[in-house]
Amino acid sequence: MDRQFIPRGLQRSSFTRFVAWVFPWILLLGLGLYAMYLCLAEGLHHTNMDNRFAFGLWIYLDLTVIALGAGAFFTGFLLYILRREELKAVINSAVVLGFICYSGAVAVLMVDVGQPLRAWFTFWHPNTHSMLAEVTFCLTCYLTVLAIEYVPVVLKNRRFRQIPRFLVFEFELHKVMPVFAGVGTFLSFFHQGSLGGLYGVLVGRPFAFREVLGIWPSTFYLFVLSAAAVGPSFVLLTTWLVQKLSRKQLVKPEVLRFLGKVSGSMLIVYVLLKAVDTLYWINTTAPAEGAPAYTFYTSQGFGTWILFAEIILLGLLPAILLLIRRLRERPGVLVGAAFLACCGIVMNRFVMTIQTLALPTLPFDLLMSYVPSWQEVATFLAIVAYGVLLYSLSFRYMTLFPQERDIRQ
Amino acid sequence: MFPFIYEFHWTPVHVVFLGIFFSVVLVILSTVSIALLRAYKAFRKHEHEAIQWEAEFEDLPAAARVCRHQITGEILQRTCNHDFDCRSCVVHPTFLVRRAPVLAPAGKEDSVFGFTMPLDRYYHRGHTWVKYEGEGVYAIGLDDFGQRMIGTPDAVELPAVGTTLRANGTGWTLKKERATLRILSPMDGVVVQTGTAQNGWFLKVRGGEPNVETRHLLRGEEIKPWIMRELERLQVAVSPEGVGVSLADGGELVQDMWKQAPQVDWDGVWGEMFLQA
Repeated sequence: MDRQFIPRGLQRSSFTRFVAWVFPWILLLGLGLYAMYLCLAEGLHHTNMDNRFAFGLWIYLDLTVIALGAGAFFTGFLLYILRREELKAVINSAVVLGFICYSGAVAVLMVDVGQPLRAWFTFWHPNTHSMLAEVTFCLTCYLTVLAIEYVPVVLKNRRFRQIPRFLVFEFELHKVMPVFAGVGTFLSFFHQGSLGGLYGVLVGRPFAFREVLGIWPSTFYLFVLSAAAVGPSFVLLTTWLVQKLSRKQLVKPEVLRFLGKVSGSMLIVYVLLKAVDTLYWINTTAPAEGAPAYTFYTSQGFGTWILFAEIILLGLLPAILLLIRRLRERPGVLVGAAFLACCGIVMNRFVMTIQTLALPTLPFDLLMSYVPSWQEVATFLAIVAYGVLLYSLSFRYMTLFPQERDIRQ
Repeated sequence: MFPFIYEFHWTPVHVVFLGIFFSVVLVILSTVSIALLRAYKAFRKHEHEAIQWEAEFEDLPAAARVCRHQITGEILQRTCNHDFDCRSCVVHPTFLVRRAPVLAPAGKEDSVFGFTMPLDRYYHRGHTWVKYEGEGVYAIGLDDFGQRMIGTPDAVELPAVGTTLRANGTGWTLKKERATLRILSPMDGVVVQTGTAQNGWFLKVRGGEPNVETRHLLRGEEIKPWIMRELERLQVAVSPEGVGVSLADGGELVQDMWKQAPQVDWDGVWGEMFLQA
């Protein structure tokens, strides 16, 4: 039925099977849209956030997907600016993943902030002293860049290619991709950094507060570096997952190994700097704030194991596994290390949002607990469902992995 | 955001922050505008045929893009980077100079692995042939390999007399089952007459000098190794995914071969063999 839209020479499942695959995700998306409607129409009392616990599941999701979505800008940077041609094999997939992550993040922000019809206020009357103004501007611009980068992927569909105007536009757009890769890198550097830069003003929360290094707090650099380090791992992991689900080899093994090597190299630098930053915080920043660092690890559930897990288990270990060639060449180790690296960033963003707000800051404070409401969870799952649906459609009807035909030969 | 809006102040923070923002927006808008303008110009100049081939060539599997001199064994490995247009290739003439001692003489026979491939004509990698008929006129047809793959087409759309064809652009269009196939034109020229499969040719075109116009086409001793390679590509294309290639027992390709294997994705196979992405 839909054969005419599937790229020539690529094998895809039957239409019935495809419908069966997407149907549960559509249901989940529908439930999430209803939850979003409740929050937008009736207010944020549908969530379990309050004035003190204002960073909930949604902001955690935002920070996490934006970090994972960094695979798009970093892959584009390596391909178009540093001319690592082997990454042509995954660039389309990376762009789609980036677009999903960023558009999903913006959708959740829309519900979280509320009043989407007044979103233009943030541009018209920007608070230029706020890091979040920079994040908003960069996010919007970068989402536009990702949408532009997505256009050639869509126009390459064999049906669209038959329309000469689309064909010519896609061809010309493809030629200027290095410019968008450069702009994307510039924007990503600033918004990833500014999300981390937020902790430079959280003076009242000594667990997360970091001192200024140059013109930005240390977390600015750590957020940029961690996103750039884990982005390639996320592209690697999703490519492997799609290979398993579709039961096809989509890229040559050396492409995944290269992604692993890049990720490992960046990750080891990040882990070292993160360790230095943590030691400085333990010995200088936290005591100066009047809160010895050990006090933050006495609350139930938030022991020092978190620090160990984040830096050693999900940072140093995957970095070493990805850096040692002999280990990297084992598919299981490569994918396992990429998975650990992704878990590392998921955990880091958890620590920087949920744990930061849960920990007591004043002597009479208690550990705050927060469990997201079903509306928050449904909204979160709707973004996951949206991502799966968009990626599934893109995989079926577009050429996300150009090597797929080659490998068949 | 702008000086005329309240809360805007001529402070360094406002000027630098908004200056960077507007610069980024300007770069994005101007780059998209440039792409749109170039696309418009290319479309007005009817360059979409050349662009389509350039784009599709890049998307072809590496096995379909090998240089003709690799096929003949003159070089171990070389991928074509001139979109199969040897007229603009600086390496091609150097191979021609060295060719004589490397390749066996062409011989007289015109049957190659059971295909009728007369040696009095030139062949395009997209399975068309060109035969010079004198006075600047060339006949163009579908080769035996192509005919056996596709059988009798359901419909043929030929260009009108007077149409200008470009080498590697659309020659004519075939419809078979639910597939629509562009048959690539093997040369530049203007259509002077149209024919049918029964005539043995589909088009007659007026072009330039034979030595110049057909330099990029395969001929003589190149045909046999090329057909052998095409048979290998066809075997891979019709093999079920994950099964791998099953070697043939030396038989010939039957007429209307698609009828013999209805389970095969023929749209994909034809696209593969007629060089379409």
